[in-house]
Amino acid sequence: MVKFGIEFVPKEPYWKIVFYAIQAERGGFNNLWITDHFNNRNVYVTLTTAAIYTNKITVGPGVTNPYMVNPVFTAQALVTLNELAPGRVVLGIGAGDKTTLASVGVEMRKPLSAVREAVSIFRNMVRGENVAFEGKVFQVAGAKFFFKPKGEIPVYIGAQGPKMLALAGKIGDGVLINACHPDDVEYAVNCVKNGVQEIGKQFSELDVAAYTSFSVHEDLKKAMKAAVSVVAFIVAGSPSQVLERHDIDLKKAEEIREALKANDWGRAFGAVSQGMIEAFSVCGTPDMCIERINQLLKSGISQFVVGSPIGPKVKAAITLIREKIIPSFTT
Amino acid sequence: MSYPKLAELIPREKRKNTADKLVDLILKSKNDDKMPSDLANIILRRWQQNLLTSEHGLSVLLKAAVLLEHEKTLSVLRELQLDELADKFEGKHKWLSLE
Repeated sequence: MVKFGIEFVPKEPYWKIVFYAIQAERGGFNNLWITDHFNNRNVYVTLTTAAIYTNKITVGPGVTNPYMVNPVFTAQALVTLNELAPGRVVLGIGAGDKTTLASVGVEMRKPLSAVREAVSIFRNMVRGENVAFEGKVFQVAGAKFFFKPKGEIPVYIGAQGPKMLALAGKIGDGVLINACHPDDVEYAVNCVKNGVQEIGKQFSELDVAAYTSFSVHEDLKKAMKAAVSVVAFIVAGSPSQVLERHDIDLKKAEEIREALKANDWGRAFGAVSQGMIEAFSVCGTPDMCIERINQLLKSGISQFVVGSPIGPKVKAAITLIREKIIPSFTT
Repeated sequence: MSYPKLAELIPREKRKNTADKLVDLILKSKNDDKMPSDLANIILRRWQQNLLTSEHGLSVLLKAAVLLEHEKTLSVLRELQLDELADKFEGKHKWLSLE
C-alpha cells in the first residue's frame, strides 16, 4: 500500500507547521518532511517541535545536504531526535542546491562522493562507532559520541540526475525522487533500479518516493494558481534537456529565469504555461490528483510526497487529501 | 471579562464552526510575529488533544485571533452571528485590557 508523505518549508513559524503536522498525522499521512535551507527557519528545531506534538508520523529532514551541515552534526541531531521520537526518525539527504550553496560561498564539490561519504559517516556515527574516514570530500580523524545512540535511522537519498538516482538505489534505504510527471518518475525509478541491480539488492527493499510539487482544490483554476509560483522556480532551475522533454519553450523558460532574477514576480508567474504546470506539479481537483498519483504508482513508487504549495489554503488542502485522496489508496 | 468567560458566550452548536474560522484566520494571518510562543504552544496542545472546540480551546483561539487580526476577528464573529461576543471586542484596542 502506498504511503503518503507531506513536506513543509519552515519559512512559516514553527507553530503553523506543527499545526499542519498534527492535522496531517490525523489525516493518515505517514511521513513528515521538513526542508533544510539556511535562509528558512531551522529544520531540526522544527522537526523536534513537530515530534513533540505528534505520536506516530515519521519525521525527517527532506532534504539536508552534507556541504552546509557536516554529516557528524546531522547524525548528532537525528540520534537525539530519535530519543525523543524513537523509531520514527529518518534522514533525507541530497547534494543540495548549487545556487543556495553558492550564496554562502560553499562549492558543490564532487556531489556523488559527498553524498556517498556523508551517508557512510552518518551511519557509522549512528551505530556509535569511532569514525575515522579518509574520503574525497570528507576527512574525519576520529569522531565518536560521548553517549550511546539508540535505534536505527533509515537514510533516504534525494536525487534527480541518473547517477545520483543509481547511487541512491545502491546505498539508500529510500529514495526521494524530485519529479512529478509520470515519464520523469518512470525514468528515475529505472535509474534507481540500475543501482539496485548493480549490488544485487531487491528494489522492493527500498521505499521510493515521488517528491512532488502538489496543489489540490475543488476548483481547478484555484489549484493551478497556487502552483504557479512553485512551478516558475522549478522551470527556472531545470536544465534544457528536461524542459525539451516536456516540449517547454526554452525562450519562455529563459524569460521566467530572468524575471525571477529581477524579482519581477508578475512577469515570471505570468509566463508559466499550463504545460509547465502539468510537467512540474501534481495539480488539480481531487479526482485529477488521484488519477496522476495512480499513473505515478505504475512506475513502482511506494511513497507519494505532497510538497509545496499543497493547495491554495494548506489546512483546507490537507482536509481534501484526507477525505478524498488518501481513502482511494487505502480502501 | 476574561477570555474563558467570553468563550462561554459561544453556543455549543456554533463551537465547531467558530473554532474552524478562528483557526483559519490565525493560520492565514501575516501578523504571525505577534503570536506569543506560550499561546501558540497552548493552541497546539489543545489541537493535539482535539480540544480546540472546548471552552478553553475557544478561549485561546479567541485570544490569538484578536491579537493577530483584531478587525477580521470581529467580522468573523459577526458573520457567525455572535454579536454579543463581538461587542465585547468593539472599540479601539479594547481587547488589550482583556486577560
